[in-house]
Formats: sequence, C-alpha cells, structure tokens
Amino acid sequence: MDLTLDLAAQLTWTGLASSSSYCLFALAFALVLKVNRIWNFAQAGLMVVAYFAMFIAFRWLGLSPLPGAILGAITTILAAMALEYWGFRILRQRNSSVLTFFIFTIAMSQFLIYMAELIFGTDPKTLFPSIIAPVRFVGPVVVSDWDLIALSLTVTLVGALWLFLRKTREGKALIAVSDEPDLAEMYGMNKDRAYLVSMALAAILMSAGMYLIGTKAAIFPSTPLSQFMIFAVIATIIGGIGNIFAAGIAGIFLALLQSYSILVIASKWQILLLYILIFVVIILFPQGVKLKLGKRGPARKAGQLPPADDVAEKAS
Amino acid sequence: MTKRSASGLSRRGILAAPLVLGMPSVIGRAFAQTEPLRFGVADPLTGPSAIFGLDQMQAVRWAVEDINSAGGVHGRKLEAIIVDHQAKPDVGIAVVTRLLQVDKVPTFITAFSNVVKAVAPIANREKALMLSVGANSPDIKNLGDYVYTTFPLADVDMRALGSWLYKSQNKRRAAVLYVNHETGTEGAKVFSAAFKEAGGEVVLNESYEEQRSDFTGLVLKVRAANPDIVHIHSVISDFTAIVAQMRQLGLNTQVTSFQTAFNPKMIQELGKASEGIIVTAMAPSAEDNANVPKYLERWQAAYKREPIGLPYTQYFHDAPYILAALFKHVLDQKQAVTGENLRKALLAIKTFDLPLTNRITFNDDHTVNAPTYFWQVKDGKFQVVGKL
Repeated sequence: MDLTLDLAAQLTWTGLASSSSYCLFALAFALVLKVNRIWNFAQAGLMVVAYFAMFIAFRWLGLSPLPGAILGAITTILAAMALEYWGFRILRQRNSSVLTFFIFTIAMSQFLIYMAELIFGTDPKTLFPSIIAPVRFVGPVVVSDWDLIALSLTVTLVGALWLFLRKTREGKALIAVSDEPDLAEMYGMNKDRAYLVSMALAAILMSAGMYLIGTKAAIFPSTPLSQFMIFAVIATIIGGIGNIFAAGIAGIFLALLQSYSILVIASKWQILLLYILIFVVIILFPQGVKLKLGKRGPARKAGQLPPADDVAEKAS
Repeated sequence: MTKRSASGLSRRGILAAPLVLGMPSVIGRAFAQTEPLRFGVADPLTGPSAIFGLDQMQAVRWAVEDINSAGGVHGRKLEAIIVDHQAKPDVGIAVVTRLLQVDKVPTFITAFSNVVKAVAPIANREKALMLSVGANSPDIKNLGDYVYTTFPLADVDMRALGSWLYKSQNKRRAAVLYVNHETGTEGAKVFSAAFKEAGGEVVLNESYEEQRSDFTGLVLKVRAANPDIVHIHSVISDFTAIVAQMRQLGLNTQVTSFQTAFNPKMIQELGKASEGIIVTAMAPSAEDNANVPKYLERWQAAYKREPIGLPYTQYFHDAPYILAALFKHVLDQKQAVTGENLRKALLAIKTFDLPLTNRITFNDDHTVNAPTYFWQVKDGKFQVVGKL
C-alpha cells in the first residue's frame, strides 16, 4: 500500500482517536503502579466491572449516556477501592512478595471475567444497540462523532488528572506516597488513603476507556485481559516505570505505531508487533524510554514534596 | 424335606438355576427394547461461539421432542447427550472422548471446522458415526470412513458466490478479509479462487486475528485497494465491527459474507449500515420449504426473536431426523446399534427427506449438495435475492 498524504492524514487521525482508550488504560495502570506499587493485572477485571455496569445501565435500565456512564464509573470506583481495602492492604500488611501480588491480581481478573461470563453470557456485547456514529469529511479525512468524543474525553481526563496531581493537596499526597510512603506518613499524609484515591482515579480512567471501546465495537468479557492489558503494560514499561504521563504518551505511540504498521505488514501480524516491542524494550530499555518532560516527567514536578518545615508546621 | 444332590444343591434349585441365570439376559433384552436411543451432540455452549451453539442446541431439543412425541423409533425415545466443546479443538477432543468412552454413544453430531478436524480421528478409531452439521471447511470430506457431513461445504456456497458476484452482480474487483483460523482461511481461499476463475481480480487478500476489536488499519487498506466488493469470511462479532468501521471511514462498498453473518443481531448493531449486505445460506428459505415459517413462529413464541444463524439451526434441527432414520434401519435389520451398523445404514439409505432442509443425498465423498441461497439485508431484514 502506497502512503499518500490523504492516507497518512487518515491513519494519523483514526490512530489518534483509537489511541484514546489505550492512553486511558495505560494511565490507570501506571498510576496504580506508581502510587500503590502494584503491577495491577486485576485492572482487566475492573475494566470488566466497568463495562458490564455500564451495560446494565444502558441496556437493562435504559439510562442515557451521561447518567449510565456515571453509574458505571461509581460502580468501578467502589470495586477498585474494595480491591485495595480488602485485597492489597491485607497483602501489604502481611509483607507479601511481589509474586503473591502478581498471582492475586491475575486470579482476581480471571474471577471477575468468569463472573461476567456466568451472568452476562459469553457472546460479544456492545454498550448500545447501534455502534454506528455519524461521520463527516474534513478535507480528505473522515471524522466521526466517535472520534471527536474519544479525543475530547481523553484530553479532558488527562488534563484533569494532571491538574489534580499538580494543584491539589490530595494529588500531591499521592506523589509523595509514591516516592516514599513511610516518609510521607511521617509528614502527616495518610498512605492508606492515598492508595484508595489512586485506585479510584484509575477506576475513572478505565471506565472512560471502556465506554469508548463499547461504543465502537462488541467485546467479550475476556477481551480486556487478552487485548487491552498488553497495551497498558507495554506502554508503562516504555514510558519508564513510574512515569504516569509518559505511559499515556507511550499508549498513544503504540496505537499510532499499530495504525501505521498496516502500511508494511499484514494485519494479522499487528498484535505480534506489540510482543516484539515488549522484548526489545525489556532488553534494550529496561528503565523505559526516557522522555524529556522535565527531569522525570510532569508528574515528578507535580509530586515535589513541600519543604519539610512547611509540612511539619501544618502537621502541628 | 428337600432332597439334595451330592453337591449340596436341591433338585428345585437345580431346576430353577437356568431360569435365574437366564433372567439378566431376558431382563436385559426387555430393557434394551425400551431404553432410549442415545446420541451425542458436541457444540459450543460457552465461549465466543456459544451465541450460535445455544440456538443450535435448542433446535436439536425441539427435533428430539417432536420425534419422541410422534412415537420415537419403534417406541424407543431418542435422547441427545449434549456437551460443550467451546469451539476449541482441545476441548472437543476431551468431550467427544467422554461421549464415546463413558456415555458409549454409537454416533454423535458436531460442528465448527477446527473441532470437526480434531475429533475425526477419534470417531474413526472408535468406529462411531460422526455427522458434521455446521462446519464448512472443504477438508471435511477427507477426514475418514466414519465422518460424514450433512452440511454443504464451503466449496459449494463460496464457489457459487464468487461466480454469482461476477456474472450476476457485475463485480470485478474483490477485497477478501478473513479471520485467521480454519473457517476463515479455507472459505476465503475457495471464494478467491472462484471469483478469479469467473474472471474477477482479487485486489486485496488480508487475514486478521480472532476477537480483535479495532480494524481501522485494515479498513484503510481496503479503501486504498479500491475494490467494488468486500468479502468478509469471519466469525460473529468481527464481521459487525469491520463493517461498522468501514462505514465510519466512509467506505460504502458492497459487503458479502457467509452464513455466520446471517444474524439479526448484526442488523440491529449496524442499523442502516447493514443495508445491502449479502450473505449465503445453504438451507432453504420459506419460499422453498413450508415448514420454515412454522419453525420461525416457534422461535417467536418461545424467544420473541429469530434464531441466530437460521440456516445452521435448520441443519441442526434435521440431524436427529437423520439419526432416527438410521436407528430405525438398524433396528429393522435386527442389528446391534453400533457405529458400524449406523454407518452401513447411512450408506444404504443415502437420501433423506427432512423437515427444514428438504431432501439431502449423501455423495460418495461423504458430502451433500444443496442450492445456495443469496440473502440481502433490505429494510432491516434478510430477503432472498438469488439462488444458484
């Protein structure tokens, strides 16, 4: 296939629009990894919770998009916080190994997927009866309503997260806890609260991502684990483990890479490309590809601890 | 006092012994004359393909109910032992082994090309008659002595579609997209060959992995190839996603597929974007079979909808009728109900008149022929637009 200007423009636009959900999943995964210090493969299970909570809201209760999506997000936030409170916290108190956390999160994902299959069946489902959105041509590029919603929702959420981490006390506490939890606690920050908040934020991001996915295609309960998690994990590694926003950017990069790869490889090899990439990154860039966004990314700046005297004064 | 023989047994006891010893065989024979005639059914009841399997099983259950309420076979009821193979070859091997070695069924029906190929050696080894009822890989005709298909293979409908599109629809440039597994690769291969043989050009031939949800790149590749027909040989959800993403990218080219896309849910999800889609079906329409409207009414009464994959369910519905005829033949011949004898019965009868699929005749190569029906989505419904 020859790369024309029109084709490049379309590939870039649709690649960007498609990357929106992957960006949100990567942000959610990287946030929990940074703050809670857990490779949270249970995210796939929480994505299933988000999806089917919205499915109930839209298809069974007949709610319109906004209240249905809010209901889905609230359900996912509660499930994520419950997972932190009754799962991760207990494992942390027992000084469980990384392997134990890993097994627990994978088992939790599988459990939630099987529950969804039992309750909702194993056939693919969309969030709304129709998955067709209106389209228009902007020059040679086809732009759909879905593209616009996906991009605007993602930009809004990423911006809100950035502001939350940079401007709010709660957000700064998250960064502080992620840097040194015990020290942050000495300075009067509640690390258990920070862990819960981070799970809640991740739940919002993954709910939004699942909404976008479910309004474009039908998915199976197993799809988040078999397809979307790989994006989130690779993006987190590429972004430099612990750098939240770089993981989001890496998610966009991966989606665009996949989109453009169709020019040179057959469609069936596109998924394989991701696995090749993960090998390359682990071997050549074990600390991730460093992006020059400040010293270690914008989140680092946002998370700079206030002067010790100031904190001690406030604590007293 | 009872007289005893030298061995300590009484005379009455000795006289009664043959009766007592013979009782189990008498009871056994009597029981054998009333026990149900059992057969296995292996189909996906869970997993992504269950959307088809569940409706196919309902069709089997209704057929068995109808046969039994009409008196069964010489007064003996049919009994279907249904197992779930999830459309996975490894699971298929496990459940079919169970059917043959634990449940001891002499015959079973199954579907899905990848599973049919995987379990065929077991049927041949155990000498159990296997009827493939909803798989269409052309290789199925080469799977051994005990494997027969009641369902026309892809080299019937895909061959017909390739030729019909060129000759009747004036299509000249085809893009062929197919899922990268048994059903997709084989079906796409036959379609491409037939279209080229008719004089057309295949301008794009691309496969993709199952259960994918984003086909943007693939669709853009189709757009760049500029075909006048897009044939998609896929499974379930991916067909809908590809067509949706085609339409979303302004690609309104005519789409064709096979019986998998014969799915009212697809029309619902695509809405107006489904208009014009053409699919093949190997089972007769209501115009050619008077029982089909009643069958559809039965679905409406029970589930308030049409079955998913109507043509498949027609073949599944009729499979127990074929087995009932085979059982009857074997019992009439006073033979044991074994896989070997059922196979002989099939070769002896060969032609079956069936409620929903009309008359089928088994060919020497273990296949059947049937006309191909072309259905097109018009005003939100499938309507027959051609027959070959």
